[in-house]
Amino acid sequence: MKFSLACQALILAAFSLLPGVGQAIYFRDKISWQSPIPPSELVSVDQARTWGDGAIWVDARPSEDFARDHVPGAISLNEDQWNELLPQFLAVWSPGKKVIAYCSAQSCDLARDVAERLRKEAQLPDVFVLEGGWEAWLKKKR
Amino acid sequence: MKTHIFALTLSVIICVTARAELKWDQTSIELHPAAADKQAIGHFKYQNAGSKPVRFKSVRTSCGCTAAQTQKEEVPPGEKGEITATFNIGERTGTQVKTVTVETDDPANVTTVLTLKAVIPTQLEITPTFVFWGQGEAPKPKTIVVRAAKDFPVKHLKVTSSSPDFQAKVEETGDGQFKIDVQPQETTRSIASTLTIQPEGSPRIFYATARITTAPAAPTAPTPPAGQTH
Repeated sequence: MKFSLACQALILAAFSLLPGVGQAIYFRDKISWQSPIPPSELVSVDQARTWGDGAIWVDARPSEDFARDHVPGAISLNEDQWNELLPQFLAVWSPGKKVIAYCSAQSCDLARDVAERLRKEAQLPDVFVLEGGWEAWLKKKR
Repeated sequence: MKTHIFALTLSVIICVTARAELKWDQTSIELHPAAADKQAIGHFKYQNAGSKPVRFKSVRTSCGCTAAQTQKEEVPPGEKGEITATFNIGERTGTQVKTVTVETDDPANVTTVLTLKAVIPTQLEITPTFVFWGQGEAPKPKTIVVRAAKDFPVKHLKVTSSSPDFQAKVEETGDGQFKIDVQPQETTRSIASTLTIQPEGSPRIFYATARITTAPAAPTAPTPPAGQTH
């Protein structure tokens, strides 16, 4: 009896796995989920604040959001106007300075993309993404 | 044994028939926009396969660069429609994955995540796009490597510096690769130049920046922020 129950459970489990396996095989090249930001590339608001003048804040949100409000001293750099804004950012960057990119919230991926391009294309070291983004900054400001 | 087979068949039937009312043709779309395209548009088609109307409660996108539109707020039974996701490419490069989160009042499928993947062609790979010298550093040339994509053959590159303080020399190294040697006249003051890189016969312009920084250009190793737990 016990063996029969175990057999049934196994058969049912195998059946339930089939659609998942099928989808994984069919879509193996089609879906590319973005991996989360490694913890070493994230910085909290509290930690970032301790860096003071040794850090440059980069606002990766759309220019309209930046115009509405931003972290004091932050520079706007987004991928909509990358070629126009990048020289403005590079004009204030100097070796040894840390870079903190932020977008609206934890769920947004703009800051991660901007940080990645600064690391990969401009080959800048010490580029971080603000944990929780602009929302986290606002919460800590209160 | 008969009972077991019946139980198994019943579970399979229940699994097959228990489906969401709003049925999506596909929840993931991959787009390959052309180099000159400004937008990539994905059409996520659906049909209300249930017997009750389904109402959209919210449609959110993962990025301000993507806009999503529903054709209607409520979908009557049997009716078809689509959610249009428009991704503004801007000056983005490479593979971009954006999501659209759809919330409905369909209890069987309250939240659906639609994925829009846009593979933006990279015509030229420029590494690095930024070269710099510290003040007082020897004004030796620094090299920028340019690689043309296989389906974007480039015979010649035209590179111009926005400032006469920097000189740029282009050399073809073969196999669709180029070497740009950038050299400042002096490094005593803080100056910068935008290098305009244009493949011959292409309207597209690429950029790189050269600069004399205020601080010395000592190599720095990436350091994780102190006090973090990994």
